This record gives sequence, structure tokens and C-alpha cells, in this order.
Amino acid sequence: MRDALRDPQTWLVMLAGTVLGICGVWLAVLGNPQNSGICVSCFLENSAGALGLHDNPRMQYLRPELIGFVLGSTLSAFSFKEFSSKGGSAPMQRLLSGIFLIVGCAVFIGCPIKLFLRLTAGDWTALPGLFGLVVGVWLGLKGLEVGVGLGAAKKQFGGSGYWTPLLFLLLLGFLLLRPGFILFSQRGSAAEAAPVLLSLGISLLIGFLAQRTRFCITGGLRDLLMIGLRAQLFWGLLLFVLLAFVGSLVSGNFTPGFYGQPGAHLDMVWSFLGMLLVGAISVLIGGCPFRQLIKAGEGDADAGLVVIGMLLGAGLVQSWQLAGTAAGVPLYGKVAVVAGLAFFILNLLLFRERDIA
Amino acid sequence: MFKDRVDILLAGLLLVCVAAGVALLIGGGSQASQLNPSLDKAIARDMTYQAKVSFLERLYAPVNELQQNGKYEAALLKLDELSRNYPNEAHGELLRGEILLRMQVIPQAVEHLAKAVRLSADYVDRQSPLSRRSLIDQLIANQLPKLKAKALAQENASLQKTLQNLYYLQGRLAGGCE
Repeated sequence: MRDALRDPQTWLVMLAGTVLGICGVWLAVLGNPQNSGICVSCFLENSAGALGLHDNPRMQYLRPELIGFVLGSTLSAFSFKEFSSKGGSAPMQRLLSGIFLIVGCAVFIGCPIKLFLRLTAGDWTALPGLFGLVVGVWLGLKGLEVGVGLGAAKKQFGGSGYWTPLLFLLLLGFLLLRPGFILFSQRGSAAEAAPVLLSLGISLLIGFLAQRTRFCITGGLRDLLMIGLRAQLFWGLLLFVLLAFVGSLVSGNFTPGFYGQPGAHLDMVWSFLGMLLVGAISVLIGGCPFRQLIKAGEGDADAGLVVIGMLLGAGLVQSWQLAGTAAGVPLYGKVAVVAGLAFFILNLLLFRERDIA
Repeated sequence: MFKDRVDILLAGLLLVCVAAGVALLIGGGSQASQLNPSLDKAIARDMTYQAKVSFLERLYAPVNELQQNGKYEAALLKLDELSRNYPNEAHGELLRGEILLRMQVIPQAVEHLAKAVRLSADYVDRQSPLSRRSLIDQLIANQLPKLKAKALAQENASLQKTLQNLYYLQGRLAGGCE
């Protein structure tokens, strides 16, 4: 633990966690939905709606935060000469993993970042999600231990790593120019938004810091399980949680309880399983939904495919009404989570190098 | 990168494509929605929504009138009649809940209001012309503490159900992303 705290990189990770914690709460104060100052899965569902991938009129807004995360990461990667076009490992599995990541998040109602934002705002219905995420990360780690791996990304000929940042540049153009085919909700949660330029600025900073530090929620939990308190990412995660808690208290948004929580339900088993799916898949593909955006921004085409899968999944969970709501988790949402778990287990079987085990 | 004539030719063609695209966007961008109005989806969506609101106002006008005149039983009968044509219609459920609330039939009122919100989130939206946030907010403020105390004192399945519905409405009022 002392060694970790002596390393300047640990302090940089802690800075990233601090900024994420403060901004996660602040963005909700500025206008984003309650407990959703930052939520990768909710924002992807909003953005998918804006692009016409689903027709829920309450979930259509091209969230500037996602654009900022990716382009902030790209800026950082170029600034520090770390941009590298790479990829080519298990593309279809990664695309499908992206879809199932969003299924798990949508059933729980939120990505791992929002899980902690919900918890630190006193939403105890997120507790099963936390247990699920930890168990999922542990299961993913067990998978790695027995020789499962999707393979390492290789340097790519043809600059495939540029396409995700370019896609998000195009989305930035859509956000600023607002052509008629891009939809913006007039009511519902997608109509609740912090000022565009402020959101963009904040998320660019977060994207920049996250690229420098490799900040990742599931990565923090994974490293904690693997190497204990020496894990740098864990210290970032801890600061994120602490600052989000303080932010919730200061902003008056801390309302502890199980009932009457914003964007939450009481289907505890499905919250647990939804986040278990997210944790397990995240370990297998090397990062939580937020980390996938950051990696895609630094030229990782594999992560870019996960991002495309997540966008597709975001459209599907809304179109097929798989997402959890305050009324609970719909039947087909439960079926989709079980399908996701089957997909994870199948990948454990198919990608296992038996000689290592 | 540009090592031979083929590279130079391809780069030239790429530049032509990019320039043509930019020229098209600058020259015809402002006319795009006039040439193809279906592209302006926001207008189509808003018109559909306004048409829905107007239709609901017209459909339930007799119910509203009876309600305003204090003829609650007649208003409920009119709702029964309308619900034969439009079963499980959200606005009908909402009006039924409102009327029952005025009649102080709290458990049933809460049940119908919760059903209405499950069917359409418009009723808890600040921005919707159909919003009933203040009514639901007031209902929760008045009834939740009483029902919680009652539920602690006695075990009663229907009381628990009403409490669950009130918690649901409270959660929807709290907002969140869904």
C-alpha cells in the first residue's frame, strides 16, 4: 500500500477519481437526470435514440459527455504520443459483448459509474448491483486464471483505430449543428441536461485524465481482488466514491433508503444478475463501458467495436423494452440477462487455452 | 504514403469526394429539410404528440365536465363507457384515479394513478401538458406517512399494495434516467 502511494501515477489516478466523483454529482446538479450526472449506458440509450435507433421519445439526446470522453482520450493519446491503431482480436465477440454490457446495465438501470453514484446518493437498491458487480469481476478473473482470453490486440494496418474518434467527431458535428434527422427529446429524462458546452468541457477533461490513468471501475475492483491495496486503480475508485458521497451530501441529494429512489427498482435478484453480467464481461474484454470509450479514443479498434455494440445494444434495449424501470424488470429483460450469462459462459468454453490451465 | 502515381491519383479522387461532400452540405444543407420534410423528425414527432393531447382532451371532455360539476359517480360511469372502446388507456386510468381521489377512495385512487403512470410517464413529466406532478406529489405527502404508520401497526395485504404503489409513484417523481 505504501509503495502504491509513493508512486506519482497513483496520485494521478486519485486525481482522475476525484474529478469523476465531483463531476458525476455536479453534472446532475447542473441539469442531468438525478443520480445520472454520468452514466455511460443511460447516455448511450439517449444517443441511440437521438440517432433514430429506437423510438422512445423520452430517451433521445446526443449526450455531449460521451463525445467528450472519447475525444478527450484521443487528445490525451495524441499529446503523449500514445495513440496507436490496434485491434483484431475476436471482433464478433467484442461486438456482442458490447450489446450484452448494455443489457446488464439497462436491467440494473445504470453503468458501474452510476452504480456508485446511486449508492453514494443513498439509493440502497443499488447494493445488490454492487455485490453482483464484484461477483462478476471475480468470475471474470477466475476465467482468466483458467486460461480464458480473447487474445491481445495487434497493431493494425490501415488505421482502423481512427474510425471511432472520427465517428464521435461526426456526432459532435451533429450535436452542434442539430440537423433535422437527429432527435432531441422535449420531455422525459433525456430532456434533462446540463449545458452542452459545460458538459463537453467537463467530459473532455475526464476523458483526458482517464486516458492518462487507465481509470476503470471494474479494473479497480479486479486489481483489488488480485493484488489488494497495492492496486493503483482501486485508490482512484475509492476517491471517486468518497467525493461522490461528499458531493451528494453537499448538494442535498443524499436521501438514504430503499423506496422512492430515482431510476431504481426493487427487483434485487435482477439488479444482482445484471451487474454480475457487466462485471464478468468487462473483465473478459478488458474494461468497463467507460473504459471501452476511453480505449476506443486512443486507437483501440477492438474497444471501438465494443462501443458500436454498446450503441446497438442501447437501441435494442429500448426498442425491445428490455430495460428495467421503477416498475421492475420486464420478462424479456430477464431473458436477455440469462442469454448474456450464457454468452459469457460460452466464451469461457470457446476461448480457453487448455494447456495453460 | 504517396509513393507512386496510383497513390497520387487516389489522393486526388479522395480530395474531390471530400470537396464535393462539403460543397453539397454548404450549398444544399439549408434546403434539405424543405426538399425532404420527412427528415425533420422533430416536427413530425411534436405534431403527433400534440394530436394525441388534443384527442385525449376531446375524448374525455364529458368526463372532465361531470367531474368539475361534482358529479363523480356519473363521471365514473362515463369512463366505464369510454373504456369499453379504449381498455387500459392511460388517460382514462388517470382520470379514474383523480375522481376516486376526490371521492376519498384512497387505495383505489392510488392504484389507478400508479397504473396510469406505468402506462405513460407523461403524468410525472414537468414538461408535459398532461403532467399531474403536483397532484401526485400532494397525494404522496398526505398519504405516505399515514399509510406507513398503519402498515407498521397492522399486517394487511391491500395496505401493503397501496404502499407499494405510493412508493412507485414517489420513485417516478424523483426522476432518474428511464
